[in-house]
Amino acid sequence: MTASVRRILPFRAIVFVAALLILTGGCAIAPNPADREAVAEFAALNDPAEPTNRTVFAINRGIDAVILKPVATFYRDYIPKFFQDRVNDVLDNLRSPVIFVNDLLQGEIDRAIATLARFVVNSTWGLAGLNDIATAIGMEGHDEDFGQTLAVWGVPEGPYVMLPLFGPSNPRDTVGLVVDFLVDPFNVWAGNTNRDYAILSRTGARGVDQRAVHMEALDDIERTSLDYYASIRSLYRQRRAEEIRNGKPSATMPAPGLSQAPADGPAAASDQAARTQ
Amino acid sequence: MITRRSVLALLGPVVAIALLLAVPAAAGDFEQRAEKFIVSLAQQAIDSLAKPGVQRGERIKRFRVMFNDHFAVHAIGRFVLGRHWQQATDKEQAEYLVLFEDLMVVSYVDRFQKYAGENLRVVKSRIEGDSTATVFTEIVRPDAGPAVQVIWRIGAKGDMLKILDVLVEGTSLSQTLRADFGSIIRQREGKVAALIHELRLKTAELKLPDKN
Repeated sequence: MTASVRRILPFRAIVFVAALLILTGGCAIAPNPADREAVAEFAALNDPAEPTNRTVFAINRGIDAVILKPVATFYRDYIPKFFQDRVNDVLDNLRSPVIFVNDLLQGEIDRAIATLARFVVNSTWGLAGLNDIATAIGMEGHDEDFGQTLAVWGVPEGPYVMLPLFGPSNPRDTVGLVVDFLVDPFNVWAGNTNRDYAILSRTGARGVDQRAVHMEALDDIERTSLDYYASIRSLYRQRRAEEIRNGKPSATMPAPGLSQAPADGPAAASDQAARTQ
Repeated sequence: MITRRSVLALLGPVVAIALLLAVPAAAGDFEQRAEKFIVSLAQQAIDSLAKPGVQRGERIKRFRVMFNDHFAVHAIGRFVLGRHWQQATDKEQAEYLVLFEDLMVVSYVDRFQKYAGENLRVVKSRIEGDSTATVFTEIVRPDAGPAVQVIWRIGAKGDMLKILDVLVEGTSLSQTLRADFGSIIRQREGKVAALIHELRLKTAELKLPDKN
């Protein structure tokens, strides 16, 4: 298994590129320690390698623009929806064992049973995962990964990291990515039987499928944000926090309030509209 | 094994008593008003934005009115600017708020119906304090993908209701904007004027008819 992993993830190349990026990109300049608010803000951003991360982000966007996005656009626009749904269902079903293990590791017995039941139903009646029958009969699926499991165990996320190709992450989620890869029965099987192409095809298909699914949302964010990198960083963190909580209500975050701005009355609103005419 | 349900059953009466003591009699009323408010917003979006054949300029105009009627534009704008609000001059604050409203309008005029339109379904609502309510909605996708969870935070002031934040799948509009704007200001040595400049460029770009 390890041999196959080594073949698939060219570790030396990755280490080399990472070292190069750190050397050329460097670290974010810490704010003046006298400015307490700026220091607090810098700590909250938790992105000490921001210049490096921005460089990787730019490279990822370049690769995306040249390869992933065109392929995903073609896939979304010209491949029949029926076929896309089957691909999506198969890929989802293949993820089930990893989700099941993480459900268990998080002590979510009910969710583990739900995942197992879905896997059994979809792998049999659903014809090897081609049809997500489980969802159709009301057994909704959910996602889990080892990054979330580590979070549930209380492991801190560490600083924000932009991974080459894989995108936004942090040390906790990066470890999660590797562990999920290693324990995935499909990868173990493919690795043990010298079917590296199977792992690559699956990863590639997942990438194209997910890129197509998120195309519209990402285009909107890119188009309307002032700083795409900062917006993605914020969205990634909020989304992960939500996934870790499994959608349960969050602790209260600072949020806008009406008392903050006495100007927000019906009169103020029309004033505002008048001013911009 | 203590199931979640049995815990709820035990806690139920306690919570009910606590609610009776803590929340004024009009609470249920407030929840209903908040839900109605969101449903009527979705209906307005259908009535005024979804009609085919309406020019984009006209739709921007209609959406601007809708946006100001339903969103706490000042409160959100101030929150998004965070600590930099205090550092801005009066003139900068006023200019910023106009541009902020403009950015929201041109950013969402074409996609607002994705969040509030005919596919919106109210799931439940909850009172958060005397003046804030949360309405949980689901946006059913026509292509049969999983429904998108959209949460509306609503503030009340007398008879008036205003949206304070929208959360799509756990990601908050105001938090994301705060991160976005904050990053621009940080890169320009804390100058709000630099943000205003960027906002002006962005809104101009988004107003172009072909960029839709």
